[in-house]
Amino acid sequence: MLMPPRTWQIALTAVAVVAGFVLAVQFRTERSIERGLHVSSGRLGEIAYRYRMADRRQAALRQRIEDLRREIAAEEQRAAGGRRAEAALAASLEDARTRAGLVPLHGPGIVVTMADSRRPLRGGEDPNLVLIHYSDVQAVVGTLWAAGAEAIAVNDERLVGQSGLSCVGTTILCNTRRLAPPYRIAAIGDPQALRAAVTARGGVLDQLRAFDFPVAVVTSSDVRVPAYTGGFEHRYARPMLSGQGGAPRPAPGGTRR
Amino acid sequence: MWLPILGLLVGVALGLLVSIQVPLSYVKYSAIAILASVDTILGGVRAQCEGRFDLWVFLSGFVVNTLFAAGLTALGDLLGLDIYLGAVVAFSIRIFNNVGFIRRDLLGLAWRSRATETGKT
Repeated sequence: MLMPPRTWQIALTAVAVVAGFVLAVQFRTERSIERGLHVSSGRLGEIAYRYRMADRRQAALRQRIEDLRREIAAEEQRAAGGRRAEAALAASLEDARTRAGLVPLHGPGIVVTMADSRRPLRGGEDPNLVLIHYSDVQAVVGTLWAAGAEAIAVNDERLVGQSGLSCVGTTILCNTRRLAPPYRIAAIGDPQALRAAVTARGGVLDQLRAFDFPVAVVTSSDVRVPAYTGGFEHRYARPMLSGQGGAPRPAPGGTRR
Repeated sequence: MWLPILGLLVGVALGLLVSIQVPLSYVKYSAIAILASVDTILGGVRAQCEGRFDLWVFLSGFVVNTLFAAGLTALGDLLGLDIYLGAVVAFSIRIFNNVGFIRRDLLGLAWRSRATETGKT
């Protein structure tokens, strides 16, 4: 034998440690991908492609909704054309539109930003501990409404009467759009009151701060909140007109779509 | 001979305990790393069986092969091609080759020892 018998064993052992380490790490990664997304990592490329395609289609549809709404508004303006009754009608339409959240608004208010904790995970620790959850965003939004906010948008997605925040897999869904951290919650209203409500001792931001989440509250004299770009669907709800005694009436044109 | 197997177990235990995750874009690289280390181990075992093990050939082979394969993978990522498949195929062929040689070496050892046994009786 050319080498003393121990050398080759030690060299093999060193490489074996590396091989075992890489194998185990790779195994753990694959397991966590499968647990989180329910797909194997080999299919991720295809899924990412489909996701981008669907995203692009959705963006185009949103743009179309916005264009059509603008056209309708312009058409109404033209129809009103100077006559007083129609002008009053157009004004009340504009008012209704503002209340529905279809008009971008600006005014004094606050902006709350929250992001996932930057603290590195210790071994065996639950990653949920360092992530912002939909319930955290919801708590801030609820507090803001309760404190008299007049318009709120989360990451430039306007909240309207039918808006909901929910949890889909690893992201937060708001209306039909997925949100990603950092979360930026813009609210128009009395800045002092809003600020006091969200930064209250023992309140939602206080708790997040206690767990090392980067949280910021900025008061501004000009907060901008974009218009709602989603659709309104009333397939089941019908207006109760006075004198009808609340009896539901079939829709004039049947159900939509 | 038990030392490398013990090492493998220690590596697995380390990998399970340390909270490192491979980012998705580096999955190809860990495939290369796994194949390169398995190839190196088998190559070392084979050289040992044939009595021509050299520490520097062994270690330099591990380092250089791994780096070269990683470089190929990076080039493939840059060009949007699956060039790393070339490295994967090359490593796999070598692994099968080495397994075949180890099998023959071990068989040869077995035959020889039986021959000496029969010669004695």
